Amino acid sequence: MKNTLTCREATRLLLEDEDRELPAADRIALQVHVKICFACQRFVSQLNFMRRATKAWRKHSETDVDDDRPG
Amino acid sequence: MSESLLAALERPQAFLGQSQLKTWLIGILKHKVVDQLRRHTREATILVGEDGEDLDDALFQADGHWRDAPRDWGDPDAACARQQFFEVLQTCCDQLPPVQARVFMMREWLELESNEICQELAITSSNLWVLLHRARLRLRDCLQVRWFSAAEAA
Repeated sequence: MKNTLTCREATRLLLEDEDRELPAADRIALQVHVKICFACQRFVSQLNFMRRATKAWRKHSETDVDDDRPG
Repeated sequence: MSESLLAALERPQAFLGQSQLKTWLIGILKHKVVDQLRRHTREATILVGEDGEDLDDALFQADGHWRDAPRDWGDPDAACARQQFFEVLQTCCDQLPPVQARVFMMREWLELESNEICQELAITSSNLWVLLHRARLRLRDCLQVRWFSAAEAA
């Protein structure tokens, strides 16, 4: 089994992980990579950020339906 | 197309408070995406045709390392406390290529599971992942430029 991912491969898997359950081998390879890769740790944080922000945005809009911005 | 329909398509988030509209919106989004897919003879065409850029090549060196390491975005709650941030997020979503934007909306706004979206749109899961992969990378790039870098420059 290939046990080293490049950042490019890790990023693809991290993005897929948002939308499906990764196979165990991919999940493990990803954990190994992210543990030692500072840049990909940042990317993980950015994905978490985007997920939380989208959720907050939706809630914000739902409670603020009268907000009528022009455009 | 009616005014309210246009409004709902442009700002679906304003209409999603009423859950009975969800089914209605899914129908509209589905219709729009299917229509766009149909204009291309093969499913793969839309993936290249709408968005030919290889986003990954722009992000990574030939050896697979990041060209520029992702930045520290800090605390999401701090950004989300500001109305302006949601306006930027809206702008960034508006700028996504149409199919990507709608698929992303189905996933994030309507919270549909991947298999539900694939079923609704009759696309393969690998094509769905390509669309969402690109949507998320574009969104990330847009937020970096319009929110985080803009704040640093101010």
